[in-house]
Amino acid sequence: MSTRSTRGNPRYASRKPLAAWVFPVRNVGKSLPLMLVIVLAVLLISGIVSVMNSIPLSVRNVYGYSKHITGATPRGDMSYFPELKEHFEQSPIPIERTIVARTVLFNVRSIVGPWPFVLHGVSNADASYLVEKIGLKLAKGRFPEPGQPEAVISGRVARNLGLSLGDVLLRPDDEKNYSPFEVKIVGILSGSEWFAFTSYEYLKENHFPPVDVLIFATPNLSEQRKLDAWAEESLKSQRALVFTFPSLERDTQETFRILFKILNVVVALLVTVITLMMAMLINIYLSQRIVEFGLLQAIGFTQSKLIKRAIYEASLVVAIGWLFGVASACALLSVIRSVLMDPRGFYIDPMDPAAYAYSIPVPIAILTAAAATVWWRFRKFDPISVVERRVA
Amino acid sequence: MIVAKSASLVYFDHGREIHACRDIDMQVSDNEFVGILGPSGSGKSSLLYLLSGLKNSTSGDVSFRGQSYKSLSDQERSNLRLREFGFVFQQPYLVGYLTALENVLLVDNSSSDSVTRAESLLDSLGLGDRMNRMPSELSGGEKQRVCVARAIMSSPSVVFADEPTASLDHSGGLAVVSLLRQHHRGAVVMVTHDPSMLEDADRIFTIAEGVASPVHSK
Repeated sequence: MSTRSTRGNPRYASRKPLAAWVFPVRNVGKSLPLMLVIVLAVLLISGIVSVMNSIPLSVRNVYGYSKHITGATPRGDMSYFPELKEHFEQSPIPIERTIVARTVLFNVRSIVGPWPFVLHGVSNADASYLVEKIGLKLAKGRFPEPGQPEAVISGRVARNLGLSLGDVLLRPDDEKNYSPFEVKIVGILSGSEWFAFTSYEYLKENHFPPVDVLIFATPNLSEQRKLDAWAEESLKSQRALVFTFPSLERDTQETFRILFKILNVVVALLVTVITLMMAMLINIYLSQRIVEFGLLQAIGFTQSKLIKRAIYEASLVVAIGWLFGVASACALLSVIRSVLMDPRGFYIDPMDPAAYAYSIPVPIAILTAAAATVWWRFRKFDPISVVERRVA
Repeated sequence: MIVAKSASLVYFDHGREIHACRDIDMQVSDNEFVGILGPSGSGKSSLLYLLSGLKNSTSGDVSFRGQSYKSLSDQERSNLRLREFGFVFQQPYLVGYLTALENVLLVDNSSSDSVTRAESLLDSLGLGDRMNRMPSELSGGEKQRVCVARAIMSSPSVVFADEPTASLDHSGGLAVVSLLRQHHRGAVVMVTHDPSMLEDADRIFTIAEGVASPVHSK
């Protein structure tokens, strides 16, 4: 009898030679291409969805400051302004502060091109209130002098446009960021929100249209949402425009609804192609193992046990492939975020659950195809054809 | 133990009716070595498949310990083969990505002693230093000895050997038969075209055109 032990020998696998991990681990040349296809599929799908989701994510972040306020302005007719103000004064939701502002638009950059951003013209007292309300803080410089072409922007806006203290935000020769005088940046705010303001007097004197905007702030976000809802409902079909964060969210969702429908079709096509490819690969691998299956069935392994084993093996490969795919996508998106997106102030979420949820049909479809392929191969399988060498 | 009563096996090949076995009457008793001798195409492998339950008879009946194979489902027949029978085929079929030891453990890895028993078997078959080798690293004779070890690992009631020496030279073939007899306490049913492999057989049948006839009894 042998006294040597098999322990410690690198070849010795398991007392269970038919465990699902044995074949994939010992045939890396065969299991790795399968895993790689899944990894690439997950990477591709999660990447596409993440990049697409980064657009609404950017909308929510870039205009996130509007969560803290509700805006309203007459539709072109300033004579309606006092009535509009009075309407809000009678609101059932307590208003902490009413701000009269002017606004002008300038462009910030996004991954889909320039986006308009609001430069608020407000008094310094109102600016102080808004800055604190939004969760920002003056980090560098000072507030604008009343009536002077000066602006304060948040760090996010500065990073996005590559501007710093003393740089020009609006200028006479820039069609898209126009002002009759060079509007210089005199202050930078710190904090996560995007925000920009100048003096009310400067915009009133130099910018068209001569229409004021009312900004209302409530004591907290929950009251603000109530005010948003009340304003939208009570001013429906009136001579006023209402600006609220929920309406921005709704508009964004509506804009991307069709885009995501198209994405669903693209993902479905991708999954179909990948699944067909995997089914063919699995079929080839099964053909290469037909002698093994014939032998095992001949010596007494039931067909159902062999089918189960083949499915367990496929599940293991698919699960590992999917997990590696998710990990790779997460790593790649993190790199994209830190190298490409963050420095420009763009947003992308490497941990976006929706992106990974979109890749779930990949393992499910592949497993279904694998199970169907295995069942098809075993349907009329005769082990004697193998042991008699009728099948090579 | 195994009883065949008027068992026949008919199959169709390209629309032609082939009588692989005709009205076979045969018994295999416990611990008996039964040899089936016949030329190529005589139906001896088909007879082995009938006796081992790999194929069902098209008429007549084959039973093991009184249980007709026809009364068993596919799964029950598979379980019977795994539990009660061992197989050695003409070609030394091994699972290519498993070591010799693991190939033996395929049929019985139910207890913690299985590894020790498999090691002991391989050792006694002269493969003590080859048990952790892959099949591609073994010679044809070594592979067939691993197949013998696998066939007897679960101490089956019967070992069915289908031309187990065909892929070996004469001395290698004799060695395999001898090892099989030496290490297996149950019955052996061996099919061969070489009469010299059946010198130790308790009974020998010849088969020609699917008809089996007893020719020798110890």
